[in-house]
Amino acid sequence: MSEAPLIHVVDDDESLRRGLLRLLRAAGFEACGYGSTGEFLLHPLPDRPGCVLLDLLMPGPSGLELQAALRQRGVALPVVFLTGHGDVASSVRAMQAGAVDFLTKPVQRHALLEALRRALDRDARERAARAEADELRGRLASLTTREREVFDGIVSGKLNKQIADELEMAERTVKLHRARVMEKLSAGSPAELGRLAERLRLLSEP
Amino acid sequence: MRRVDAWVLAGLVAATDLPAVAAVDVRNVLVVYSNGRLLPANVEGDRGLHQVVRAPADHPVQLFYEFLDAPRFGGEAHDRVLAAYLQEKYASRPPSVVVAVRQEALGFLLRHRPGLFPGVPVVHAGVDRSAFAAMGPVPADVVGAPADYDFSPTLDLALRWHPRARRLVIVTGASKPDRAYEEQLRSEALPFEKRATVEFLDGRPTPEVLRRLGELGDDAVVFTPGMFRDGEGRDLTPYDSVRAMAAASGAPVYGAFSTQIGTGIVGGYMPSFEAIGREAGRTVNELVAGGEPASVRRPEVVPQALNVDWRQLRRWGVDPSALPHDAVVHFRPPTLLEAHRNEAIGATALLALQAGLIAWLLVEHRRRRLAEAAEQTRRLELARASRLAAAGELTGSIAHEINQPLGAILSNADAADLILESGGDRRQELRGILADIRRDDLRASEVIRRLRTALAKREVERRPFELNAAVSEIDSTLGAEARRRQSMLTVRPAPAPVPVVGDRIEIQQVLVNLILNALDAVAGLPEERRTVVVSVEQHSDRADVTVRDRGRGIAPEHLPRLFEAFFTTKRGGMGLGLSIARTLVEVHGGRVWAENGQDEGAVFHVELPTSREAADSSPEHP
Repeated sequence: MSEAPLIHVVDDDESLRRGLLRLLRAAGFEACGYGSTGEFLLHPLPDRPGCVLLDLLMPGPSGLELQAALRQRGVALPVVFLTGHGDVASSVRAMQAGAVDFLTKPVQRHALLEALRRALDRDARERAARAEADELRGRLASLTTREREVFDGIVSGKLNKQIADELEMAERTVKLHRARVMEKLSAGSPAELGRLAERLRLLSEP
Repeated sequence: MRRVDAWVLAGLVAATDLPAVAAVDVRNVLVVYSNGRLLPANVEGDRGLHQVVRAPADHPVQLFYEFLDAPRFGGEAHDRVLAAYLQEKYASRPPSVVVAVRQEALGFLLRHRPGLFPGVPVVHAGVDRSAFAAMGPVPADVVGAPADYDFSPTLDLALRWHPRARRLVIVTGASKPDRAYEEQLRSEALPFEKRATVEFLDGRPTPEVLRRLGELGDDAVVFTPGMFRDGEGRDLTPYDSVRAMAAASGAPVYGAFSTQIGTGIVGGYMPSFEAIGREAGRTVNELVAGGEPASVRRPEVVPQALNVDWRQLRRWGVDPSALPHDAVVHFRPPTLLEAHRNEAIGATALLALQAGLIAWLLVEHRRRRLAEAAEQTRRLELARASRLAAAGELTGSIAHEINQPLGAILSNADAADLILESGGDRRQELRGILADIRRDDLRASEVIRRLRTALAKREVERRPFELNAAVSEIDSTLGAEARRRQSMLTVRPAPAPVPVVGDRIEIQQVLVNLILNALDAVAGLPEERRTVVVSVEQHSDRADVTVRDRGRGIAPEHLPRLFEAFFTTKRGGMGLGLSIARTLVEVHGGRVWAENGQDEGAVFHVELPTSREAADSSPEHP
């Protein structure tokens, strides 16, 4: 769970890559280098917190293309761009695609480390959110069909009698299901159940 | 009938020259010579007169001649009869001007003019200066230039040219003019008595004269004006007498008259009778034209000129270098140059022409070299401008190339910093970092050096280089540029080294230009078409570099004009890149052309002659 983050450095320039890895490791990070976009994509990604430090211009697919490929694959690692010569157009594209920062070589240590920390923070936050959502989804998945139907009724603000009428069951049975839903979803009150439902709704949206 | 005839006659008269029918005011000029008609001096004088006398437009001039034969005839009775004769003779043709040649004729006219030709102006010619002075003042309408008959310059000359001469022998005749010469000579010879013994042979019989002259040796010089009559009363012409004397004499003979040159005399200061005749002719012209005798311009005196016989100079051993430049030299055999004058002129002209041609060619050659140098400079500057423009386009890629090693250096330095902060013995790691920093530093400076080499003002080099390596060098810069443009640049070198001779930077510039054009051509196309392939191939003695793109190709109507200066299809393009590229390639003895690819895109070819010299395939190092 609290595994150390891993920074992926993708740069075709071997010397620069080595320098960056040295710096990151000296700064206390775990880092791993890749010579090209392809190499990175072919490498099995461990499920670890981290971020990608990505060169913009490389032979073959560029950093921007890698960024797009990662998104397509559902890899949520935040990306920090590093470029020898950044033009406005590519930096805009990179930021629109969700990059954390767009740095220009040679980069100041503090700027680099700060950007990477922000990326890792974002990754940690997203990871935590994703973990919570997963847990909630897991809890939601433990509900039976009937319980789920009752839950939907409760979060849309219906009374027990209304739910009983709609589901053609006794009001008493609705109460029973309700108690089981509260227990399964670890909700202490109907209000808490509402907040839970709201969060689930947010998470289920893309 | 008669009427008709009269009409015809009138018509004819009218048709012919009418003024001819009217009385024409003919100007008669009477020339009175003192001597005989065939005296050479008179013949020459007459020639000079004829050369000059010109009739005014409306006054035909008619010349008449009379000869007094002075040495042979004379005396008061003779003069009287002659005057009466002339008066009768010229009554119907009165002269407008009378010319008196020499003092005898002038004397005769001065005496008889009032009766003979009253009021008719007299032009005198060839009158001895001293004799003229002895006549006293002459009337204002008697004009002319006396002639210089001084003998002393000739006497002086003879003694100078023959420094061993101690005797000056002077021969004169027995007639009245002969005696006049003798008298003149006796006074003129006086100053020379200090330099030589002056001996006169005056009025002697010809045989004696000839014998005496024959006895002379090289201690003597002879002077004679010639004899009109010898001591035996024999009439002679001065010419014949001088010829006889010169033939007999054992010493050089000097004379007084240019007409006698050729008789065997060496020469002397002599009046030119032709010049005297011309001078008189000019005066006659002025008077005939209506000039006033008093206002007629003429020289004080007609001067003498040194006349010499070249053959006699050689015979008597006179140094030709002693001749004054204005001497009139007779009978000098023509020099080689003179003998072959036309050939010499031809040869000289030919030489001059040849020299001129050579000079012209040299000038032309120099002009062309200067023009070539100027052209070369212009080409260099254009090429540099084009490289600067390309560099401008490549700024991003160049920055990338430099920032790459700079970034590595900074990261390594920062890493080292952190490692030192962390403590512990990590020297091995630090050493590796320093090695990397050093290498990246060199890498960055190499980029800058290359850039500076490419952009610097420079002389064109001609040295062998390897084409594959040159193309690979471009790839490192342009590869980044292609990536920046999300296009793909592929370089396919030839399997074996391709040696060429020339300027590597210029050839690289050509290729950079073509590659940038190709990248422009594929910009904005679908990804799979954004590719540019550069291949190097060698075919026997030439190398072919092709730059192939998958763009839209070249419009057929643009193909022929592609390499022209200022032709461009790009917005904002100068249209210089390809024209400079062509110039650069052609300077290398190669050619560059473009065509459309078989399926799509354009193919640019750069063909260069390969060299047999082994090329240095490694790039230059600083």
